[in-house]
Amino acid sequence: MSFTSPFAASSSKAGHGSIVISVLPPDTPVLADLSYQYPLKLVAPEPLPPPQHREHGGTQPKLIHTVFLLTYGGGIVAGDTIDLSVCLDPNTRLVLLTQGSTKIFKTLDPGVLSKQHMTARITAGSALVYLPDPVQPFAETAFSQSQVYYLEGGEGSLCVCDWVTSGRSARGENWDIYEYRSRNEVWAVNGGADTSTQKRLLLRDNLILNGKGQTNMAFSERMDGYAVFGTLILRGPVFAALAQYFLDEFEALPRIGGRDWGDTAQRELSPHEQQRAQRQLREKADGLIWSAASVRGFTLVKFASRDVQGSRHWLRDMIRDEGTVATTFGHGAMLCLNS
Amino acid sequence: MTSTTNPQSLQDEIADLEQRLRDAKFRLQAQSQTPPTPSPPTLPPAHLHALLLLSDSALPLGSFAFSSGLESYLAHHKPSSNNTSTISAALSSFHTFLRLSLATLATTSLPYVLSAYRNPENLYNLDNDFDASTPCTVARRASIAQGRALMTVWERSFRAGHTSSNTLSTLQPNSNEHPADVEAIDVAINTLTTFSKSLRTHPDTTHAHYAPLWGLVTRILHLSAWDAGYLFLFSHARTVLSAAVRASVMGPYQAQAVLASVELQERIRGLVEEGWEVRVEDAGVCVPVMDLWVGRHERLYSRIFNS
Repeated sequence: MSFTSPFAASSSKAGHGSIVISVLPPDTPVLADLSYQYPLKLVAPEPLPPPQHREHGGTQPKLIHTVFLLTYGGGIVAGDTIDLSVCLDPNTRLVLLTQGSTKIFKTLDPGVLSKQHMTARITAGSALVYLPDPVQPFAETAFSQSQVYYLEGGEGSLCVCDWVTSGRSARGENWDIYEYRSRNEVWAVNGGADTSTQKRLLLRDNLILNGKGQTNMAFSERMDGYAVFGTLILRGPVFAALAQYFLDEFEALPRIGGRDWGDTAQRELSPHEQQRAQRQLREKADGLIWSAASVRGFTLVKFASRDVQGSRHWLRDMIRDEGTVATTFGHGAMLCLNS
Repeated sequence: MTSTTNPQSLQDEIADLEQRLRDAKFRLQAQSQTPPTPSPPTLPPAHLHALLLLSDSALPLGSFAFSSGLESYLAHHKPSSNNTSTISAALSSFHTFLRLSLATLATTSLPYVLSAYRNPENLYNLDNDFDASTPCTVARRASIAQGRALMTVWERSFRAGHTSSNTLSTLQPNSNEHPADVEAIDVAINTLTTFSKSLRTHPDTTHAHYAPLWGLVTRILHLSAWDAGYLFLFSHARTVLSAAVRASVMGPYQAQAVLASVELQERIRGLVEEGWEVRVEDAGVCVPVMDLWVGRHERLYSRIFNS
């Protein structure tokens, strides 16, 4: 099946990269393009068949591709610009991973922004899982990233996470940054090649930590003592069950400020309820708070915790306990949550 | 008869003459220098009346039902022990919250107010984009409830006086308004009319968010863009403070003192300045955890507010 990429042909510009998954007739997904320029590096292991051949209306692709996003030196140096384009043909799957947190190195000039930009084109029946390690901006850094997803006809499935930490907490760094921005946008596009003709904004999640706001408060105070903040965006048929799981678990959270008056009879807990109770205990111990909301066809999950591992383990537990990601994409898709 | 007059009556006569002399001098001065009373300004400021209308806490927007996350924030920041410092702890929590809440509103919503004010014809896009940018259901609900209330106020109370900007021009024949302003107000009125129709016909794609509608209505009511932005933030501060009074964080005089403070004035002014040229595409949250507090309002055991 031929598909014209809506993006400019990959040039030799520094930091540019491109990933295209197409379908070789009749139904074999192939990595049609994998190109990158310093300081970006992309590594694609052999694609694997999905662990469980559950029929999703007969459209389950035969192979799942995985690509690691790496940078030379393991991080982004002041002034670096990374620009990645991802294109998924109908009925393809891609898992995007990182190897360790995306470190943002110190800049001498607060005005010099390092940038990371990704556009992903998703089509009907295709699905993207992007569960990276968190971004870790060191002290005295200025970083701006954006992830823009174009859903053709508003279709396709997404499970993408964007999370950021307070820096190198072992060195006492606590949001000692100059600036941090992260933008997640999802657009519905119609009409194929030209994205500018007909597009409608479905979701915009824009986080800006800079000097504005007239708060006279340090970032650490603005973050209310949390060392991690993250957003998980879920959409589409592939992740419908996972999205519902988050909503149900949010609904099942104990009421804030509620008390046990001792007038509810203790009953036998089901295995799922026991699992839930244990997870809620861990949430409390890790100082993790979260919320889930269903809005405009998305399920949006926000979370924050006192340290990185708290969020990492919580996310892993939630996604593992529900099971969709592991059975449809393999355990490897959760690699960044297991460390 | 005339020889003996007592000194007292002479003194009285002198005092009387002196008084008459002062009166006469004063009258002479008044006649030659200033007009008897200052004449009213040639242009009755239409925007002053509108400003008073919109800043009135009796404006039926139902704002009193929302605490904009204050209730949830306080529940998340309960001091661990029940001692005498509880009240002062709640008070300092409140001041932090007010700062964070104003900053959040200024970075997320103010650009939409100003953009709708400047480009009223773009209301549909702004409404959709604001909806897409407000992923927190509790905040969305509050924004839509107040936006729809503002639509109702417009339709039932304001519209009659503003069917077209021409009405106002005839009221003020010597109005020196710029023709472009007159045209923009016409556009705003027409947009609002069709928007209120599509609110009924396409309730799934038309949301009626508060911020862009505020921009439009203030434009129609002849407020300046600056006043529109300032009043938007000021009303929010007032709403949060009134919620604090009802949540027993502080008393009404204390709340009024905060509202009247120079510090709050300077903060609001600074926020309008910062947001003056921010494009709506660049609007975003500057206090990420705010979404969590507002979003978790639904999980409170007991609630007195809707948000």
